[in-house]
Amino acid sequence: MRKQRGLSIFVLLVFAFLCLPLLIITVTAFGEQPSIQFPIEGFTFQWFKKVFEISSFVDSFFLSLQISSLATLLALAVGIPAAYALARYKLPKTAWLKSFFLSPTVIPGVVVGYALFQFVVVQLQLPIFQGLLLGHFLISLPYVIRVVGSSLEQLDFSIEEVAWTLGCTKPLAFIKVVLPNITSGIFASFMLAFINSFNNIPVSQFLSGPGVATLPTTLMSYIEYNYDPTVSALSVLLMLGTIILMYLIEKTLGLASVA
Amino acid sequence: MSFVDLEDIRVSYDGKNNILKDLNLSIEKGELVSLLGPSGCGKTTTLRVIAGLIEPNDGAFSVDGANLTKVPVHKRNFGMVFQSYALFPHLTIKENVGFGLKLRKESKETIHKKVMEMLEVTGLADYADRYPKQLSGGQRQRVALARALVIEPKLLLLDEPLSNLDAKLRINMRLEIKKIQQRLGITSVFVTHDQEECFSISDKVAVMNQGVIEQFDTPEVIYNHPKTEFVARFIGFENFFDLTLVDDHTYAAGDGSLFKTAHTWETTQKVGTIRPEDITILSKQSGPAVNTIPGTVKVRTFLGKSYQYEVETPIGKLLVQDSDETTYTSGDEVSLYISEEKLILV
Amino acid sequence: MSKKTSYLILAPGLVLLLFFLILPLVSVIWPTFYDGGVTFNAYLEFFQDMYNVGILYRTIKISLIVTLISILFGVPTAYFIANSPKKWRGLLMSLTLFPLLTNSVVRSFAWINILGRTGIINNLMLASGLISEPITLLYTEFAIIIGSFYLFLPVMIISLVGTFENIDTEIMEAAETLGANRLTAFIKVILPLSIPGVIIGSILVFTGTLTAYTTPQLLGGNRNMMMSTFLYQNAMALGDWQSASVIALIMIVTTLLVMKVFNMIAAKLDKRGEKYA
Repeated sequence: MRKQRGLSIFVLLVFAFLCLPLLIITVTAFGEQPSIQFPIEGFTFQWFKKVFEISSFVDSFFLSLQISSLATLLALAVGIPAAYALARYKLPKTAWLKSFFLSPTVIPGVVVGYALFQFVVVQLQLPIFQGLLLGHFLISLPYVIRVVGSSLEQLDFSIEEVAWTLGCTKPLAFIKVVLPNITSGIFASFMLAFINSFNNIPVSQFLSGPGVATLPTTLMSYIEYNYDPTVSALSVLLMLGTIILMYLIEKTLGLASVA
Repeated sequence: MSFVDLEDIRVSYDGKNNILKDLNLSIEKGELVSLLGPSGCGKTTTLRVIAGLIEPNDGAFSVDGANLTKVPVHKRNFGMVFQSYALFPHLTIKENVGFGLKLRKESKETIHKKVMEMLEVTGLADYADRYPKQLSGGQRQRVALARALVIEPKLLLLDEPLSNLDAKLRINMRLEIKKIQQRLGITSVFVTHDQEECFSISDKVAVMNQGVIEQFDTPEVIYNHPKTEFVARFIGFENFFDLTLVDDHTYAAGDGSLFKTAHTWETTQKVGTIRPEDITILSKQSGPAVNTIPGTVKVRTFLGKSYQYEVETPIGKLLVQDSDETTYTSGDEVSLYISEEKLILV
Repeated sequence: MSKKTSYLILAPGLVLLLFFLILPLVSVIWPTFYDGGVTFNAYLEFFQDMYNVGILYRTIKISLIVTLISILFGVPTAYFIANSPKKWRGLLMSLTLFPLLTNSVVRSFAWINILGRTGIINNLMLASGLISEPITLLYTEFAIIIGSFYLFLPVMIISLVGTFENIDTEIMEAAETLGANRLTAFIKVILPLSIPGVIIGSILVFTGTLTAYTTPQLLGGNRNMMMSTFLYQNAMALGDWQSASVIALIMIVTTLLVMKVFNMIAAKLDKRGEKYA
């Protein structure tokens, strides 16, 4: 490429803007003062230790893991067959059905959270956990429909028909021939749905109660009352988690698959 | 000094490997010069240096006496036809062709007049308001040509412009390009890897290999008298054998058999070469004493209007093409006559 | 396979969506139209109160500003990434994705550190003597704008990189050989061709900012409410279900309208009435 100095400087500034705020958090996590300061004085790991001493952080982390995994798995269980039916059979209302399955993306997250809270928790009197799980299922489903759907659209279904002619039953052919050829799509949709569910605030915010709060909502309410480097330390840990996930995705699918 | 001059052009992307090595090329006004060579030989790079899309690491490039080496591409006023045509998909044919004129701030009327004239010349007048997507490959090709020509460029650059067309259309288009080029008298550089296309269209051909020009001459000279083994191989010479000078115009092959030649060669030229169709195949022990070697037919292939024989001889395996009525079959003993006129040394 | 089987496969998803998305939505929205008979009073009341209208206006205004500056900064950046050598592109894409995949609470928190009374900007300006006492940056509309821009710029960049990668590089060169300098070629050729990507990115950024909860909550404070924080406050702090439901429907309608408008703009700018190749 030929030289474009002006553009290069512009882009450098944009990336500085994207990276610096997170770098600053990282630095503040190691400061010795009881409130966040930048630049820091001294150097300590005590705030990381404190993260693990605050039981609501630890508990909500495990709850988040549980909710996100369950919701994403449920979305896969429901979404893969649905995506298959939509891609495989020219139903009269395929386009309409597809946008129905994607509808949770056009409904604002706070509205989904609010409606579910009203309906599931207030009217049906179900435990909050179930409501939270349902909410996360709803926001995960579109990722499965979209990503698995696009791998299915690229699949040559004659391989499935060959399996039928060789004596495979239809369900068996689906498991033995179709699924193995869309594994990368399934994995990509799992990753995307999981990350989004794990990071979700708007839905979780409405569906939290005693003993049921995800890590981001816990962190959010902690920030509203505290301004100490524990938050920075937890943020650093969360960013480390992001880096590990990105590394995993890059090694398996390539980051382009989730971009 | 010629109209277009490339002097000691060197291009390297990584600082170590040279894509072009001290390349020199001179083009006279009004000529159509082809750059011919296999992929990776540097022909497209040369064209892009001329266009100003690549700045050479060393060397100078001038047109009409003006040094343009540092002049950016948009100020050179050369028309270029790209391999992919590179039409602007968001503009109509008329807008595509008028793009360059609009940048030159010509009046609306002038632009319209010039564009319509050019569309008329290229037979596109009926498609003025269509979008590129709605045209066939050949039509898009013409749009690309019209767009390059309408700015009245000093040079017309064509980067494998015919490679995306089917065989029949390609022959029509190259004729058309040649006609338009001659009528406008525009100096042109044409990049191709197809020797037939290149010979049919060019006034001069530069055969390139690994970043250097191996030979630069008219198509006839290159076809009949390739200077190097690379050029010979690239344009269809298939038989090569070592020779040593023994007497005036007389050479000996490895087995001692003598070959006379009608031309005078440099002392560095020690490999004899000849096209398969220039060897005469005769029955055993006929033909003159010199320039003839014995052989055994190994394989016969029917090519339609002729036969091809693979013949084992004391100087190696030779390929022969022959349209004679007498045919030979595998195992036949034959003589091969290599004429003084057709024997080339490289 | 028969139609029946395929509907059977679709059934679990359809039922779950109907029961836990559509039904809950209807059950919260319906009462806003029903008060012994069908009525629009709840909405009339909402729009008569200038405080409410102010929040809706602020929400749309901020979303629009964030979208515009995201386009302004996203387009050149994405163009640069798309034209970088392969190894650089991977790195730049990772640097773009990293903030995107990081929790929005963390990303908003970053700006509390920068904009707060004892934040970096105030510290710097105090130290350099530019100001004598801290200025208020946090809990302002400006804070929401910069926080949302920070949140959604990666979305815009990523939507655009693919678009730019799909534009044939020879098209840019063709424009240059015809006499266009870099900037002209970019504006006349590349930019019009990138409109589909800009539209997709704008829809995502606009609706994202419109419905984001974390950023206005953490950076805006109570005086700079947006629709999402307003909904939360009505529902959870004030227990005013009626108002919360009214806000919910207005948010849904606004989101759909925005998508519609952007798609209309796209159709208008794309004169051929079809997607670019």
